[in-house]
Amino acid sequence: MIENGFNRRDFLKVLGWGGTAVALSGCGNTSIENGKETVVSYVEPEDYAIPSIGVYFNSTCAQCDAGCNIEGRVREGRVLKLEGNPGSFINRGKMCGLGQAGVQAHYNPDRVREPLLRNGSQGETLTWDKALSLINDKLNGVKGEEIAFLTGGVSGHVKVLLNNYLDALGSKNHYAYEAVSPSVVRAANKKAYGVEMPRLHLDKAKVIVSFGADFLGAWVSPVHFSQQYAQFRKGNRPEGRGVLVQIESKMTLTGANADRWIPIRPGTEGILALGIVNALGAGIPADAVAAAKDYTADRVSKDTGVPAEQIIRLAELLKERSPSLVLAGAAAEGYAHGSQNAAAIALLNQVLGNVGKTLEAPANAQFAQITPTTGNRAALRSLNDSMAQGKLKVLFSYGANPVYTAPDALKLQDNLKKVPFKVVFAHYLDETALEADLVLPLDSALEDWGTSIPEYQVEPHLSIQQPLMERLYPNTRGVGDILLALLKQRRADEYKAYEDFYSYLRGAVVQNKAALGGAGADDDAFWNETLSNALVKLPGAAGSLSGKASAVGLTLPAPAAEVVAYPLRLIPSVSASMRDGRHANLSWLQESPDPLTTVVWDSWVEIHPKTAAKLGIVEGDIVEVASQNGSVTSQAYLFPGIHPDAISMPLGYGHEAMGRYAKGTGVNVFKILDPVFDKETGELAINETNVRISKVGNRVVVVKEEGPNGGSQLGRKKIAVKVSSDKVDLSKEV
Amino acid sequence: MSVSNLLENWSKFRHNHPVEDKGHPDWQAYPSEIKWAMAIDLDACTGCNACSVACYAENNLPVVGKEKYSHGQAMHWMRIERYWDEDNREFPDQGAQFLPMLCQQCEAAPCETVCPVGATNHTEDGLNSQIYNRCIGSRYCSANCPYKVRYFNWYDYPSTENVWPAPMEQQLNPDLTVRGKGVMEKCTFCKQRTYTARNNAKTEGRKIHDGDVQTACQQACPTNAISFGNLFDPESRVAKQWEQQQVELIKAEQEKDVKPGNNLRGYRIFEELRPYPSVMYLERVRENGV
Repeated sequence: MIENGFNRRDFLKVLGWGGTAVALSGCGNTSIENGKETVVSYVEPEDYAIPSIGVYFNSTCAQCDAGCNIEGRVREGRVLKLEGNPGSFINRGKMCGLGQAGVQAHYNPDRVREPLLRNGSQGETLTWDKALSLINDKLNGVKGEEIAFLTGGVSGHVKVLLNNYLDALGSKNHYAYEAVSPSVVRAANKKAYGVEMPRLHLDKAKVIVSFGADFLGAWVSPVHFSQQYAQFRKGNRPEGRGVLVQIESKMTLTGANADRWIPIRPGTEGILALGIVNALGAGIPADAVAAAKDYTADRVSKDTGVPAEQIIRLAELLKERSPSLVLAGAAAEGYAHGSQNAAAIALLNQVLGNVGKTLEAPANAQFAQITPTTGNRAALRSLNDSMAQGKLKVLFSYGANPVYTAPDALKLQDNLKKVPFKVVFAHYLDETALEADLVLPLDSALEDWGTSIPEYQVEPHLSIQQPLMERLYPNTRGVGDILLALLKQRRADEYKAYEDFYSYLRGAVVQNKAALGGAGADDDAFWNETLSNALVKLPGAAGSLSGKASAVGLTLPAPAAEVVAYPLRLIPSVSASMRDGRHANLSWLQESPDPLTTVVWDSWVEIHPKTAAKLGIVEGDIVEVASQNGSVTSQAYLFPGIHPDAISMPLGYGHEAMGRYAKGTGVNVFKILDPVFDKETGELAINETNVRISKVGNRVVVVKEEGPNGGSQLGRKKIAVKVSSDKVDLSKEV
Repeated sequence: MSVSNLLENWSKFRHNHPVEDKGHPDWQAYPSEIKWAMAIDLDACTGCNACSVACYAENNLPVVGKEKYSHGQAMHWMRIERYWDEDNREFPDQGAQFLPMLCQQCEAAPCETVCPVGATNHTEDGLNSQIYNRCIGSRYCSANCPYKVRYFNWYDYPSTENVWPAPMEQQLNPDLTVRGKGVMEKCTFCKQRTYTARNNAKTEGRKIHDGDVQTACQQACPTNAISFGNLFDPESRVAKQWEQQQVELIKAEQEKDVKPGNNLRGYRIFEELRPYPSVMYLERVRENGV
């Protein structure tokens, strides 16, 4: 797309080269020297570049793992704004706030600009040649098993190079770690349906019952699910308008949009799922009946705090309106029995006959080398154990910040010190980079080349990330380029044909063009088309779900007894913009109010007004939240959308480093989490921390978007208006 | 536009009351081709804030930081208001209510009549515009705005620390200004975009089509809750929505209010104050029986 009606087709023809030209030679019209901007006249402009007219290049968003396809508006050699790529299967031209803030990650004033080598407590700059040969030296004489690579979730050709590099080093230690990931649900899905991430059809469901899956906020692929949700809410689909029931202890953004939000005693989600199975009554498989036979509405009501009539009504609703869709999210999986919770919820889907209707198999992945490797906490634990035992000599880290996201109880920071040489690939000097011996500064996502495959796939495709502008700093490098250079140290012959990661990528795509739908096409033409779309379809065979969810081995513990010294349950919340804290240094996100509390620029403690009254706490009281493993202090916020036995604090705040906007803003809740893990997957049970809360003494004015009257409309009936669904007919609306 | 021009053509730039008679000079003052308007479906809105961040990116809005935010000096032209049901129940068991609030581009804008220098007035395409270099910072307009969607530059943000530290200023959109200290600013319905679209249409010798222009908030919105376009173009989605909901720009009381139970859910906020806003909201729908 180009503004001012310039011919799109002509432009797209050169777009591929344009992307290249932007990356390799630059537009030549801006250069930044000593903080001064030199505007060079357009003596030889690119033939599509018209001064003052924005040009759009397609690329891929790197802000979260959903991997939305984006287009960046480039004007006078600078990227100004990101929009969704209308040709995307995932986000179809739309974008979230976190994605919008991608430009701030690129122009961030606190990016690392030079390779840094530790000298005592200081970092000294060094050249890339020296940095890379230093890595080579440090690896000499080190055995393969003494080398480890820690990453976030990875896919595409960076994953290929990374694995090949580890292979060249004789190491099998690739630890993929995500601080906040649906890994328990993945494992439960794998058991129940044969795949980790089935395709969901919210848009085809008549009822969605979500056990804490925040699919509108921070869960898996929120922009895609938001679009499905919009369809689900429309009255003009054959299924009619859908109904959303959200069951969770702390209201998420999705819960705030539900027709019915049901607060549940923390950890009893699986019990409620079986209670619904029980209440469904006749017509369900015998093993499910047997598994649920003890879960009568009365007993379940006692365990979960959900009224018996509501359980029965919910079962009726699910029976009346099929197909439905039942989802398990963070609220259900974050317990020591998280896998059991998730399995009980999967069983409910199976019993309701949703498998194959609202849950479908994703197309089978073809190229295993580039398919996503998802991360989990179990990987971090085993890495942590290896480090504690002194087994590692060299550690690489890319795309993870474990020093910030690991609970203090794991003593990860101490264990990290036992690794003699640590190399961190970094955008910012975050907590982990500060522990490094060598910091390698990365290109921003808008400067770098790459390919990726999102974990949640609608249509199988490979997304291309291409530079939208010249790099801001001459001494940052792309992660692919660094890995390629490292590989050349080990396997020079195999990689000598590729001057850089760009030529490697081009070679990789062009070589495989027949499988990518470019059979018989000219190499250049195919590559240009791939770049101009920034995505290419992958061949994929239709799969099918196994539908094996069964009640065998399903045992749910009784609700946790109250711990007298720590009477409240801490539910850390994952917000759509802060996530695990990796984007805390983006000021737009800090200033963007939390949708539910509307608090900005700080952490807060959500307490139900009833609990607060009991404790004598009012809004703005500074309170100490103490677990067995530490404490944090923050401002109290009275919040009706939380179970009275629980409190909630947002993750992602409280950085000790990482830049001016992140450092010192709020408190880090990861630190005080108890080291309790899901028994089956080893994932950190994020909701298993019991806390006590006490007033520290002082009180502040909570800085928030809502006015002093909280969420009240002060009796004015015509501001935000709600209407009962039986009062309107949406079926004919535009 | 000079002040003398403004005074001579008062009715063209100041709409006191849009009248039903389309032959009236107020209506004639329109080029009668374009009247920008919006419809926001609160049923689709999830309160995710994508629109608000997109607005920061598009319109060079400064990030003011915690202290200034606490003084009510945030510059969010598009903000999400969150309300709770007030039925004294223990839990908000029908969720929250989200309301994207932005300048309503009133036809009889209360802000326009109080500006002592004519810095805020009506454009020919139906926008309530703000002329920055005429604004003297009296802030009367803000005081008179029932929606509180006008934002004053209490500081010189470009030179304020950590607002746009280098190289962040390179992200600024060159299609519009960065406002200096002492002037009022507000949502413009992405005027830089509507102007580009109008100029393109003019160059091509055609009328504006629906879809020629999207506002930044509309373009980002993951659920398509926002539609924007020319209310005078019967083919535009926004016009169809207004028509279907029987909301008329020039009325202060709509069909929905007159005859309850008529299957309509379109309304305008503070209509009873008679500002004749250009943003129609569609009521949030929730099923009670679950």
